[in-house]
Amino acid sequence: MEINVLEKEPNRVRMYIKDIPLHILNSIRRTMIADVPTMAIDTVVFTVNSTIFYDEYIAHRLGLVPLTSEAALEKYKPPEECREASERGLFTEDCFVKLDLEGENPPGSNNIITLYSGDLRTTDPDVRPVYDKIPIAILSPGQKISLEAYARLGRGREHAKWSPVSVAAHKFIADIIIDYEKCKAPECTDCINVCPRNVLIIDNDKVKVSPDKLFDCSLCRVCEEACKYRAIKINWRKNEYILLVETTGALSPKRVLLEAVKVLESKLDNLMEALKMEGITK
Amino acid sequence: MLFPVRCFTCGAPIGHLWEEFKKRVEAGEDPGKVLDDLGVKRYCCRRMFLSHVEIAYELLNFPKVS
Repeated sequence: MEINVLEKEPNRVRMYIKDIPLHILNSIRRTMIADVPTMAIDTVVFTVNSTIFYDEYIAHRLGLVPLTSEAALEKYKPPEECREASERGLFTEDCFVKLDLEGENPPGSNNIITLYSGDLRTTDPDVRPVYDKIPIAILSPGQKISLEAYARLGRGREHAKWSPVSVAAHKFIADIIIDYEKCKAPECTDCINVCPRNVLIIDNDKVKVSPDKLFDCSLCRVCEEACKYRAIKINWRKNEYILLVETTGALSPKRVLLEAVKVLESKLDNLMEALKMEGITK
Repeated sequence: MLFPVRCFTCGAPIGHLWEEFKKRVEAGEDPGKVLDDLGVKRYCCRRMFLSHVEIAYELLNFPKVS
């Protein structure tokens, strides 16, 4: 197996992966979306809310705010146990992080106050909003808000707010075959003009694939259609893929990938155990 | 109402970028260039910014009954 990191940013990673079966790569991708736990606000208790927003609207906005979960994965109990606790209204410390939001615009003032995600006061410094500048509510003079929010670990399959990734995608790599006996370049450059990603270039009077643009090809096959001489053919390479992961900031892309593999592994272990229990295998 | 916390389609957090976007566009910059600068690449996220209308500030003008 060969893995090359093509792009690396704090919240985004693009990798070239060779010799991995597609179904395994897809399992990992789907596990990243639906089964890697992160922290998110799940229950909100309002004591005062005289803003123009309904309680539900503010609670929904709070739920969508990404919270840093890197350290929380070890610290807190798994999502399944905490879900039960939250349904029974038991906000225990081994499951939940309490976050407070309080704000008031005194009567008679002339400004509108905006409350941001950064105004949330957390009881655990490891779990705090990733971005401080997300507006939660606005208050006109005389309005007040006071609430307690409880965050817990959860999985993307329960609600998308717990999904650590905004994008997790894989794509094929193109295999562009040009038949130089049929090709009439440089007189005909139809395929080059028509390509939306500018993958093809003229080099020494021959149509060639731009060396750094091959991974950009979307396999749209417009060039195949545009070629009057049927000289170009687009195929895809077997067992070579590009994996793109973009996180919400709750976990790093590296951690998301590692956790996904861990979760997948434990699921397979569970399957093996069940098979052993049934006596199907030893 | 307020600017959404996340993109409706892909779920990428965008709420924290709104105030800078608004400030810069009101100062006369080209919205497309500002979005490029903020790292908003996909068209699903870009339309969230371009099509947003801030109604919440209008609602503040009405007194709250109850």
